[in-house]
Amino acid sequence: MKEFDLESLSREMPFKMPEHFLDDMTERVVSQIGKQRKQNRDRKIVALFASVASAAAVALLFLHPFGSSLNIPDYDNISQCASVDEVLQDMTAEELSLYSMMSNYYGN
Amino acid sequence: MKRDLSDSMQSQGSLSVSDESIARMLCDDNHVEQAVRLIMKKYGEQLYWHIRRMVVAHDDAEDCLQETMINVYKYRTTYSNEYPLSSWLYKIATNESLKLLKNRAGFTMSVDDLGDSLKDSVREEASPNADETLILLQEAIALLPAKQKMVFNLRYYDDKSYEEIHQIVGDSVNTLKTNYHYAVQKIKDYILEHQL
Repeated sequence: MKEFDLESLSREMPFKMPEHFLDDMTERVVSQIGKQRKQNRDRKIVALFASVASAAAVALLFLHPFGSSLNIPDYDNISQCASVDEVLQDMTAEELSLYSMMSNYYGN
Repeated sequence: MKRDLSDSMQSQGSLSVSDESIARMLCDDNHVEQAVRLIMKKYGEQLYWHIRRMVVAHDDAEDCLQETMINVYKYRTTYSNEYPLSSWLYKIATNESLKLLKNRAGFTMSVDDLGDSLKDSVREEASPNADETLILLQEAIALLPAKQKMVFNLRYYDDKSYEEIHQIVGDSVNTLKTNYHYAVQKIKDYILEHQL
């Protein structure tokens, strides 16, 4: 029975690695990592901006509830005023249009 | 300060930088690129050949090595100094090689069914003046099941102890010894059968 001594063989490979391969690979990997790091930084900035913007929007909503600047007239008390004309004089155009719309609706 | 550290690392020579220092730099955002350069200098060639012995073709080894290094960066925080840095790197490289082979095998075949096509690649990839016995050895390795191939390569070419191979492959030392024993037997049989 023939025996083959594996340990006596050279550990050399029958293949070649192209010249400068490892240096080129290092540069490619480092540049790709640089791009990923930049993307991660950009993503963090966008996320930070988005959270600041949403926090500001929520704060604005609490400080100035929607509709508070319209100064909607209190229709229940209008009848107690001295004269409708007096009230109408103090109203803005926006309030007037709202008043006329509500009057038509309630049939005043 | 960053430049000073990088310069001192360069002047010391990459091979003399300890794995502990490289691992620390890897987790430091200011030095991560420098750490990757040091890893490539210190382990790049070993990792390339480890991958190449698994996938055979240079182009595939190139893709795998690149993915390995990107994964080193991506998963750098998962490295624990419980194991040597080299074992962690070999583990990532091994996984990348197996991933490539699994993709090649597709859904219908297993990695172990790729033996014949890998064996054919050995002849195509061999240098024109390569020793015939070394080509036969690589053909025999290409025909081995993936697990036996990994164990044989790590022990025969990289001189890894069974403990280190266990850190890389994950099987018990006894299983690894059995895998190595079968691999050696199959390789000897193949070479004796095909040697002129």
